[in-house]
Amino acid sequence: MPNIIAVVCASYGLAQSVCDGEDLPARAERFFRSDHTNNWAVLVCTSRFWFNYRHVANTLSVYRSVKRLGIPDSHIVLMLADDMACNHRNPKPATVFSHKNMELNVYGDDVEVDYRGYEVTVENFLRVLTGRLPPSTPRSKRLLSDDHSNILIYLTGHGGNGFLKFQDSEEISNVELADAFEQMWQKRRYNELLFIIDTCQGASMYERFYSPNLMALASSQVGEDSLSHQPDLAIGVHLMDRYTFYLLEFLEDIHPASQANMNDLFKVCPKSQCVSTPGHRTDLFQRDPGSVLITDFFGSVRKVEITMETINLTVPGIPLERFGGEPHTETALAYVDQLPVAQIIHQKPKQKDWHPPDGFILGLWTLILLVFFRTYGIKHLKHIF
Amino acid sequence: MAAPLTLLVIVAVTIRAVLFRSSLAELISERVEVVSPLNSWKRVVEGLALLDLGVSPYSGDVFHETPLTIYLYHFVIDYAEIVCMIADGITAVALYLAVQVYNKNVFRKQKYALEADRYPHDCLELMQTPKELFYVPLKVAMFYLLSPFTILSCVAKSTCGINNAIVALFVLCTIKGSALLSAIFLALATYQSIYPITLFAPALIYLLQRLYIPVNLRRQSFWLFTLQYAFMFVGSLVVIVGLSFFLLGSWDYIPSVYGFILSVPDLTPNIGLFWYFFAEMFEHFRLFFICVFQINVFFYTIPLSIKLKDHPVFLMFMQIAIISIFKSYPTVGDIALYMAFLPVWSHLYRFLRNIFMVSCVLLACSALFPVLWHLWIYAGSANSNFYYAITLLFNVGQVLLVSDYFYAYLRREHHLSHGLYLKKKDGSEATLVLK
Repeated sequence: MPNIIAVVCASYGLAQSVCDGEDLPARAERFFRSDHTNNWAVLVCTSRFWFNYRHVANTLSVYRSVKRLGIPDSHIVLMLADDMACNHRNPKPATVFSHKNMELNVYGDDVEVDYRGYEVTVENFLRVLTGRLPPSTPRSKRLLSDDHSNILIYLTGHGGNGFLKFQDSEEISNVELADAFEQMWQKRRYNELLFIIDTCQGASMYERFYSPNLMALASSQVGEDSLSHQPDLAIGVHLMDRYTFYLLEFLEDIHPASQANMNDLFKVCPKSQCVSTPGHRTDLFQRDPGSVLITDFFGSVRKVEITMETINLTVPGIPLERFGGEPHTETALAYVDQLPVAQIIHQKPKQKDWHPPDGFILGLWTLILLVFFRTYGIKHLKHIF
Repeated sequence: MAAPLTLLVIVAVTIRAVLFRSSLAELISERVEVVSPLNSWKRVVEGLALLDLGVSPYSGDVFHETPLTIYLYHFVIDYAEIVCMIADGITAVALYLAVQVYNKNVFRKQKYALEADRYPHDCLELMQTPKELFYVPLKVAMFYLLSPFTILSCVAKSTCGINNAIVALFVLCTIKGSALLSAIFLALATYQSIYPITLFAPALIYLLQRLYIPVNLRRQSFWLFTLQYAFMFVGSLVVIVGLSFFLLGSWDYIPSVYGFILSVPDLTPNIGLFWYFFAEMFEHFRLFFICVFQINVFFYTIPLSIKLKDHPVFLMFMQIAIISIFKSYPTVGDIALYMAFLPVWSHLYRFLRNIFMVSCVLLACSALFPVLWHLWIYAGSANSNFYYAITLLFNVGQVLLVSDYFYAYLRREHHLSHGLYLKKKDGSEATLVLK
């Protein structure tokens, strides 16, 4: 519904030459600062095993923020490589905490995980991004974005210079990621894309991007390790990584009408708090980061503007032409015969048995008869004929 | 002798029929000792199915039978069991008749020699009596029909039975003296697998002997007959090969059948000598060793025919035995054929030196074949070396058997001309050794 209103306003703003006032186009232009119409989020945790609890907590806290700010579950692809909440080493089952002393349970009871456990692979991740999934994949596992989608991609796990480790058994390289984004751009699968990565040497992952409208943030530069925040002595593992911890704190202050922009996001977790130096990349982004709202990516903001003025909606359309004023009797439409049923239920042709050629049979039996009469004498011939 | 023979045939058919209906038939037709890629019935069915689908049966490495047998099997494919039994019956009857005629000849010659007093007087105990000669043909038929090797081969519906029938008919025609039929059956046997071409020499010698043409290379009559026989043989071979071309309209049966036999591409284990060597052979030496191994079959013909030029039927037996041992894909059916001849030489028993050991070796190896196969393939606790050792030992046993009979035959001949109790020059007892 909000999309229809947006479309209507757009058509109003663009098609109608008769203006009711100069400020309306200007307002419309401001209205459409960002020309995205829907938001998607792909949140990936790539590590398994209990001691990588913090990566699952990272992803779940971003999930929580994104959901709180309005992106529905149908537009979130959540990939968790391991199940921490129901892990048998979890002393507090069905919970994943992000703050020590169990202040915040990011697991909740409405978490929808789309790719779980061993389904989180490099191949599945790339297929989700590029949309090249088998036809049997359910909608919840697809990134059904279009050319007006703003997508948030969040990756966390263990990484290195130019790669990110998946499941402790395979890696995705920064080149692969950049090519996947280029495929998305060529297929017009995003309008703008925000890429956040919280791993060691995370900045290496966005070095190779070359597609337009990409903005990237990383928790550490090449050669630096991203550090974890705080362990919980009751649970026994580190609960969060520093960068995402402070990102979560920052996002907790954002609400759907917030005007905070990307420059504020770049300031999250300075070196004093994060120990590593967070990095960002905006050269591929068309708009100025200062004009990009946080909610452009983290939230799904409905663009609604209330106006008290009436708008004439008659759009000059194409008149329906009729020949001679009377309607055709149209031929009854029918489906083309898709299934040649007659051929299908036709019986399989009976297999033709092979027969030896006649010349062969003739020659063979002539020879046999000749030999017979040669050995046993011609006198038997008269008994035959 | 018709009644006992009929009884024997009925008993044999019953045994085979019982085995056909039992669950052992499936098991036996899979055994590598009984079927080889050349004569497996499964492959025949596959080839004929390919033919029904319009594809040449020789495409792909599945079918290695000759076109004339395609023509034969095309009619009998649903009655394979009956045809195998009939083939065995034909072989047995042919061998029976052949040995009967041969024994008559032997007895007649012996009678003339005795009347002419050509034997030393102490050799009378070496003479063959009519009584034992009377039962030999039946024993031959029994050895063939009731031999476990033949029964296994028949139950597996191996086409070896038909090859054996052709060779047996060849032997029959040769012994009866019909040169044309002998040449034709020899050509058929050669056409089926190449090796019976070595039987040309004993057949030629026998026919020459029968026509009282001395085997002397300088005589014109010898060459005349040889050329006649060779012409008949080669002519019928050419006719058969040409006729096979007309069956399917192409020559691609030649590499599939003869190329397969000669170049041994399939190294499935069998009871022969080829597979193990060629599994390990470097490609570089493969051609050399194929030539070496194949020559082994043909190599013994000339020396043996020189030594045994007065005894062509024994030469035929030895040659068939050598073919069965050294051919590229032997099966137990081939062994059954030459073992059927053993009763003919039962008078040599007193001169056989190693018969006990040889028979133990052959029995033990025959029993060990399935055991070691199971251990190798299924249990995994043995490997191919075990199976090959048994194969090797089996073939060594066979070679010992054949050479033992050779020794015994030659020794008897020597005794017949030099007396039974041999004395050295100083009068002490001497014995004969085969050097």
